Amino acid sequence: MGSPCEVLTDGGDKQLAGRVSLLVAEEAWRIEDKFSRYLDGNIIHRINTSQGDPVEVDAETGHLLDFAATLFDISAGGFDITSGVLRAAWVFDGTDNIPAQADIDNILGRVGWQHVTWADLRLTMQPGMEVDLGGIGKEYAVDRCIAMARSATNVPSMINFGGDLAVTGPPVTREAWKVGIEGPGVDAAGKRVDLRQGALATSGDARRFLLHDGVRYSHILDPRTGWSVPDAPASITVAADTCTQAGMMSTLAMLRGTEAEQFLAAQALLHWCRR
Amino acid sequence: MTPVDAQEEPKWDFNTSLLYYGEDENRVQDLSLKSIIRRLFADDRTLTFGLTVDSLTGATPSGAIRQDVPQSFTRPSGSGSYVVPAGDLPLDDTFKDTRLAITAGWQQPTGEKGLLSAGFSASKEYDYLHTGVNASYAHDFNNRNTTVSAGFAFAKDSIESVGGAPIPLTSMLDVGDISNREGDQDKDVLDVVFGVSQVISKNFLVQANYSFSQADGYLNNPYKVLSLVDGVTGDTLPRIPGNEGGPSGVFLFESRPDERTQHSLYTQAKYYMNGKVLDASYRYMTDDWEIDSHTLDVRYRWPIGGSSYIEPHVRYYTQTEAEFYRLSLDDSAPLPQFASSDYRLGNFDAITVGLKYGWKTRNENDMSIRVEWYTQSGTVPAGQLIGNQASRDNYPDLNALIVQFSYRFLR
Repeated sequence: MGSPCEVLTDGGDKQLAGRVSLLVAEEAWRIEDKFSRYLDGNIIHRINTSQGDPVEVDAETGHLLDFAATLFDISAGGFDITSGVLRAAWVFDGTDNIPAQADIDNILGRVGWQHVTWADLRLTMQPGMEVDLGGIGKEYAVDRCIAMARSATNVPSMINFGGDLAVTGPPVTREAWKVGIEGPGVDAAGKRVDLRQGALATSGDARRFLLHDGVRYSHILDPRTGWSVPDAPASITVAADTCTQAGMMSTLAMLRGTEAEQFLAAQALLHWCRR
Repeated sequence: MTPVDAQEEPKWDFNTSLLYYGEDENRVQDLSLKSIIRRLFADDRTLTFGLTVDSLTGATPSGAIRQDVPQSFTRPSGSGSYVVPAGDLPLDDTFKDTRLAITAGWQQPTGEKGLLSAGFSASKEYDYLHTGVNASYAHDFNNRNTTVSAGFAFAKDSIESVGGAPIPLTSMLDVGDISNREGDQDKDVLDVVFGVSQVISKNFLVQANYSFSQADGYLNNPYKVLSLVDGVTGDTLPRIPGNEGGPSGVFLFESRPDERTQHSLYTQAKYYMNGKVLDASYRYMTDDWEIDSHTLDVRYRWPIGGSSYIEPHVRYYTQTEAEFYRLSLDDSAPLPQFASSDYRLGNFDAITVGLKYGWKTRNENDMSIRVEWYTQSGTVPAGQLIGNQASRDNYPDLNALIVQFSYRFLR
């Protein structure tokens, strides 16, 4: 998952904590092995090396691709799992090293879910295109692991994969799970959230940006232009019923740039937006 | 699918209580309004403000003994006098004061395992000004199962006695005569405390503190006197009051050492069993005035349903008298250097029995009401009783009622 992952159980004994952790870890590794774009031989690797040939996928992959297609539609192309190739042009290392328009144009030809044929568990993509489920995979993993923890024990648990997290229910030894939200910058003005039920997901990374001519370029890229979304918040955290929903809302809000707060306010979801 | 239930942690914690303390027989009555406001900042840093307003009225023993005849006294201000009927315990009924106290404190974690606190306190009464600073540091060890702490508090107080502080062991004078009065006095108090708390199991927590207190300066109560008595009868030496009024007997202002060193050891255990909490503590205190005290305090918190509880409370306190405690001063013997008849420096036992009921309101605020009875009974060492004193109640029992209403809400 590219980040620290933890399982917390409230009550029960060491043995139970170990059993739940193992179940969760195995599920997380399974999902990572299956959907990581860094591993050879998995379904993502097969899609990304298909060279224009159709690829048959299993039901679980199909479910995630369906969800990605839905996100593409409701964001009018703002969320696109084929946009990962733009990373070749953008390196967010805090410098002023922004790419040339020619480089972006060059890559944009290989970006766009609208160029993908996806139906009946069969996906066909133009050569050179790549998909990356990184934007939804972690939240999906959290929700899957919550289901596994719930079926294994009644002891309340929290599953936290690098800040995207969910709980199986309210804790017993205290009023709520206390979750800290890291603030932007080093001098973290963190807030704390009392979570009893549901999930939290965060989009954005206050440390990944470029600064050029006084303009801050966030690492949220708009696949329609190939450029960084102007005035995107440093980070957005959303609370929702599931981690997938929370992640979806924070991502969609992030793509709104200046209007992120306005968008979030209209959703009637508890959220924290930092600039 | 269960819907999300999340909210931002409250930033403000308001805790307000109204306390009534009333001693029987029209002695001290205190109505106290206390408010503590805590602001929680990021990273567990907190700022706390406290405000207390006390309104004190009533009568307090002057320190003189009962007589079979009426007795007259000059008021502490030196302007006016009052008469105590024959057989009654002499009480000074001019006790009336308003006290305003403020505290401010800052607390923040230092590193992963440290917690630093610093604070300031001040209070003002008509005749008393207190200012103090305090700081402490606590450090967690052993997977946070052990906490070791050290702290200090330093106070600088000034006593602005009504009519001026009397020179110790001089006589109460006639109305209008302030020749034995001095100006404002002051005292410094340094407290140092070292503590350790240890989690024994997930249900069991113990802690122990050692504290040291050093007070220097004016430690007298400027309004307390002792009767100077005949060495055979034990009756107060008579005196003719002046034209404007004054004392009908010889009453000498008390004299305490100008230094006091206290050591105390405090231990506490909290045990949690199925929602119920047993909280027991014991304190031993000893000082160089030769007062030794023991305090045993037990509370048992008993939940009723999901949102209320009752908590019975019993406290037992006992102390030995100060080495200079005297019921009266013997005219036939040389005057001691130090003497006080303040009943709080005597040999006494006290029991507090109380019950607290607490509940959560519909909007999740905490309310509680506490009712307690305090009863104190003391004895004068038999060797101090002279003549007629043996047949009198020299150390009357003190009973008090305590009622407190508290309300706490978070925002």
